[in-house]
Amino acid sequence: MLKITELQAKVGEKQILKGLSLEVKAGEVHAIMGPNGSGKSTLSYVLAGRDGYQITSGRVEYDGKDLLALSPEERAREGVFLAFQYPVEIPGVTNKYFLKAAYNALRKHRGEPEMDAGAFLRFVKEKAKSVEMDPAFLNRSVNEGFSGGEKKRNEILQMAVLEPRLALLDETDSGLDIDALKIVAQGINKLRDPRRAVVLVTHYQRLLDYIVPDFVHVLSGGRIVKSGGKELAFQLEKEGYGWIDAEKTAA
Amino acid sequence: MNATADAGLERFAVRFAAEKARLPGAELRWLSRAREEAFAAFAGQGLPHARFEGWRHTPAKLLLETEFEAAERPKIARGFGGQALCPVDFHRVVLQNGRFAPEHSRVAALPEGVAIASLAAVLRDDPESLKAALSGGPALDGLPFAALAAAAFRDGVVVRVARHARLDRPLHLLLAADDAQSARPQCAHLRALVLLEDGASAEIIVETVAGGSSPFWTNLLTRISLGEGASLKHYRLQRENASGVQTAATLVDVGRRARYESHEFNFSGALTRHDLRVRLAGEGADCFLNGLSLVRGDEIVDHHTVVEHAAVGGATRELYKAVLDERGRFVFDGLVEVRPGAQKADASVYNKNLLLSEDAEVHSNPEFKILADDVSCKHGGAIGQLSPESLFYLRSRGVGAADARRLLVYAFGAEMLDRVGLEPLRQALEGALHARMPEGGPR
Repeated sequence: MLKITELQAKVGEKQILKGLSLEVKAGEVHAIMGPNGSGKSTLSYVLAGRDGYQITSGRVEYDGKDLLALSPEERAREGVFLAFQYPVEIPGVTNKYFLKAAYNALRKHRGEPEMDAGAFLRFVKEKAKSVEMDPAFLNRSVNEGFSGGEKKRNEILQMAVLEPRLALLDETDSGLDIDALKIVAQGINKLRDPRRAVVLVTHYQRLLDYIVPDFVHVLSGGRIVKSGGKELAFQLEKEGYGWIDAEKTAA
Repeated sequence: MNATADAGLERFAVRFAAEKARLPGAELRWLSRAREEAFAAFAGQGLPHARFEGWRHTPAKLLLETEFEAAERPKIARGFGGQALCPVDFHRVVLQNGRFAPEHSRVAALPEGVAIASLAAVLRDDPESLKAALSGGPALDGLPFAALAAAAFRDGVVVRVARHARLDRPLHLLLAADDAQSARPQCAHLRALVLLEDGASAEIIVETVAGGSSPFWTNLLTRISLGEGASLKHYRLQRENASGVQTAATLVDVGRRARYESHEFNFSGALTRHDLRVRLAGEGADCFLNGLSLVRGDEIVDHHTVVEHAAVGGATRELYKAVLDERGRFVFDGLVEVRPGAQKADASVYNKNLLLSEDAEVHSNPEFKILADDVSCKHGGAIGQLSPESLFYLRSRGVGAADARRLLVYAFGAEMLDRVGLEPLRQALEGALHARMPEGGPR
């Protein structure tokens, strides 16, 4: 489904991704772990299409298409979803209006008729319930005045509504208490399906107690330096990232 | 002296001399004297030019260089239902090309104590009742066009609400301009009087619409007086045609514990200038002033507000917003003066602007003059662009770039709609705001 080959990306003059390769197949859950500054967020943003990153070489294929040639909205309509590490506040736009605009853009892209306001409201209320969100949040401005946990939960609500085929979650676990973490994990687990894939980008192993990944990759210095099964996450949790750097230096 | 302004002034003098004998109430000596005095006040100030105080950032070229003739009543009477934003079930007074149009107006079954009539009609039927309001009043310093309106008005509206009476439904005052009979530039000088006695309340919507494409200049002077505990909600909606001009001055006197609320929406017009002067005359008087301007093309919108805290415990809440596209220009000057002894004055003045184009211009000047020592006064101004983070966030959810832009611009303006308590009007404004969102993709 997703095939990243030797990807290199710069921000300004600074090289962040230095030949990153990764393949994700439908039905799989991958966790990308790494220390701060290893390029985790850059990878997420590059895949979602944010401005300000210069791709200097490499390719990203998504469903056989050149993902990097698509605009952010085209990527979203093709089923790519990025749950933001820092969700953006948009005063004056209600959550439900935003969700409806996004959902109908998706339907239009698929050649389906737009859903009217009444039907959408019923649909989205059901989804809100599934992530244990008070429906009152639907009438509030997007993320405005939300706590950290509420913002993350709102990301999961958006994901539940848009039902992406490839979900990228950037540090979705950071700043969550244990109850919120469980709800978020539950939302992600509900999405697990043989036709979908999930990429969890995280600094800590904590989230992986609730979402068991098929593969764990270690990102360091802009490259995947080690890949393994879920046991790799436990090792990282116990021993930190130091031994990876030591291994790299030794190699 | 400015040669263009001089020549322009001469034209106004000739016109006024030729027309004054035919203006309503010409037979009333006190009114003729008041008109002469007002004209002298206008001529004494002269036409605004680039160095004229308060007009430095507002080129009045269009006004100075255009030969406006007094508008005539259009010969073909057209309906306005489709043009107006206001719902039809309000009371409605239509001034068409500056003259009362009874066939389009509908003021039926007013509650006891409420009177609404055209100014010309009151001058015909009961002129003495207007003597104090039309011959006295505050000086019109710095308001040359208001002085001109006081001199040359041909019609207008008078709203009077007696003690503790309430206007049952909002009054829609529709100022409709139509050039169907003349492709020449026309003008209408108008006066409105709104007098609310103690404890009275009303909601008034003044809406300007212009058909056709030739310049129409609406010059409106409004005087509002609110007695103790009275309350007025005053809405102004401007939708002039692309070469339309509006100069308006609103002078408000707010009595003890009375409240004046103003909501102003500018959707179109080549030049819109509004001078709003509020005097919080009585203890605990409040004013709540709001504006949203959508400015594009070569349009200019200018809001000059002056709030005078003249008594103890008054409150002012001011927020004016503008969205500027293309070469639009917005001028905001918001002065709050706290007089000696007006302790506990509580005032905030904010102006927030969203620039969608590099060629647009904003001149923003919130200001306080405080002569009391126990006050709470805040002001601020902001000029910003659409946030790239917000745009990306919306696009990352599948919303197209152009739609994302429109959504964010709409959201910026929607805050001002949310303050409109009159629900059917708020809904109509929502539609009008949607219709005025920028077109095209990201820039």
